Amino acid sequence: MNIIEIKDVEKTYHDNGVPVHALRGVTMTVERGEFLVIAGPSGSGKTTLLNVLGALDTPTKGKVYLEGEDLSTKSRNEIASIRLHKLGFVFQAYNLIPVLSALENIEFTMMLRGIPEKERHERAMALMEELDIAELADKRPNEMSGGQQQRVAVARAMVNDPSIILADEPTANLDTKTGANLLDLMQRMNEEKNLTFVFSSHDPQVI
Amino acid sequence: MLFTIAWRNIWRNKRRTLIVLSSVVVGVVALIMNDSLSIGMIRQMFENQLGSHVAHMQIHKRGFNDNKVIQSVVPDQKRVEEALRSTPEVKYFSRRVVTFGLVSSAINSSGAAIIGVEPDREPNITIIKKSIIEGRYLSGASHEVVIGKKMADKLSVGIGDKIVGMASTVSGAVGSDMFRVVGIFRTVSSEFDKSYVFISLGNAQEMLELGKDVSEFAIILRDRGLVEMVKSKIAARLGANYEVLSYADLMPLILAQMQMYKESMFIVYIIIGLALIFGIINATLMSVFERMQEFGVLMAIGMKNSRLFYMIMLEALVIGVLGTVVGMVVGLAMYLPLSAYGIDLSMFSESLTSFGVGSTIYPVLTLQSIVGILIVIPVFAVLGALYPALKAIRLEPVSAIRYV
Ligand SMILES: Nc1ncnc2c1ncn2[C@@H]1O[C@H](COP(=O)(O)OP(=O)(O)O)[C@@H](O)[C@H]1O
Ligand SMILES: [Mg+2]
Repeated sequence: MNIIEIKDVEKTYHDNGVPVHALRGVTMTVERGEFLVIAGPSGSGKTTLLNVLGALDTPTKGKVYLEGEDLSTKSRNEIASIRLHKLGFVFQAYNLIPVLSALENIEFTMMLRGIPEKERHERAMALMEELDIAELADKRPNEMSGGQQQRVAVARAMVNDPSIILADEPTANLDTKTGANLLDLMQRMNEEKNLTFVFSSHDPQVI
Repeated sequence: MLFTIAWRNIWRNKRRTLIVLSSVVVGVVALIMNDSLSIGMIRQMFENQLGSHVAHMQIHKRGFNDNKVIQSVVPDQKRVEEALRSTPEVKYFSRRVVTFGLVSSAINSSGAAIIGVEPDREPNITIIKKSIIEGRYLSGASHEVVIGKKMADKLSVGIGDKIVGMASTVSGAVGSDMFRVVGIFRTVSSEFDKSYVFISLGNAQEMLELGKDVSEFAIILRDRGLVEMVKSKIAARLGANYEVLSYADLMPLILAQMQMYKESMFIVYIIIGLALIFGIINATLMSVFERMQEFGVLMAIGMKNSRLFYMIMLEALVIGVLGTVVGMVVGLAMYLPLSAYGIDLSMFSESLTSFGVGSTIYPVLTLQSIVGILIVIPVFAVLGALYPALKAIRLEPVSAIRYV
């Protein structure tokens, strides 16, 4: 089944009145269990596409369907709820809430969903074990390396069992080896849990 | 968890938070001091008037209070005394003759309220006897007078000197008599000390051709709080020929002043509140702008606007409450010793005594002030965060994430 389907999506920015066509007529589908890379050089529209897929941005033209539902009909609050329940995000950097420990960061979205403290604690802990990052539980983001932060971000994106995880250049700020490890982790989760990933990269080595 | 986040966010920029916090603390302390000093001052003014002359209640012939003519005398003293004796709430009472006239020494003269009192009973009613600084109080012997320090200075007289009192009599003639100064008093009100002189009731009646008549009964109750009840009870008993007045009826000015003060206090609150609001707006705006990117992430991972809004407001509320509590503790720590020992303002005492306050002020913090401050300051803090919080949630997550 299609998780996301976009049809003839266009996105035009206006840079001081000059139209910038970031996306011109993109049509694509993402199916459950896919591990999809959006590749392209910087400025090619990867972020824009991921933002449209993740309901962070609305297309200038065209439709976006998430599990069959037309996102253009949803209110701001409904979109927030969809992002909370169905989507997971990993950004290039600054993913984590600086004042929370790794464990608390992972718990945060469960808190937003109203999951009781004990349960969210257990689930977050279990996930951290699974991802081999349990020793980071009490660390704040500024006490972690970039790679560790991105792993915690992946854990946070996964913890609500989203339909899809969108990751915009998650390895861009990491060295090659750390980046490769992160990709391995995502791939393992894709295989073991049938989690759907869409991520972008401009790095040919990654691709 | 939101509270935890808010709490930790507050301490991310310690210096900024401490600055805002101390401005809240200073505001709260200022309010406590301002409130308690002003209320203390007005209360003292009130107590002093009550204690030096007014008493808890007065009874006159109807109309006396509005037009204090000497002919206006208590119609039937027996009746009043019986009413007072059979009222258990009445603790003390004393009879007075009240008139206005002139007192003169060889050197100078001055207008004065000349009060004839019962030397044995009046000290239960007023503090004049306790306020004697030279000589002694009236003994009951004939032709003694007790005057205030200011009056003594004006007339250039001391203990043992003679002064002449003069006032119109019941028949309209000018009555006068010579008195020997036996005591000089000083109350906290120089105005009072300048204008009241006390002689014995008998001398006053004689000088003013009053016979056995008196102008007023001054009454002290066992419990001042019962004054309205006792007043209506006695008034009902005495009937329409008498006026029974409570201290509130007798000191309308000072009560109006209290009311006025309460209203002016409102303005002080607003001024301090506005200063706080701008401090909070400034600090919250800075902290919100610094965290735009973070807010973008929070929105992206599914935090609703309302929740984000609440989180930002919560930070301001926590600062407001924390500052208020600390300010309250600091304020009380300053207030408690001051309220016990008083603040000596003898530097300014000249102007204070003319207001009838005294040179030492005992601040009074009322529950109303405490509750008011506890509510108002956190509310102002929250109001200050309103604009930055609205600004934060108007943000689109994408632009917020791209913010850096
Ligand atoms: N907010 C914006 N305003 C104007 N132009 C933008 C904006 N966001 C992106 N663009 C432009 O859109 C194009 C695609 O950008 P982006 O999606 O960020 O590409 P990528 O992520 O592949 O680097 C670029 O030319 C970029 O300059
Ligand atoms: Mg990009």
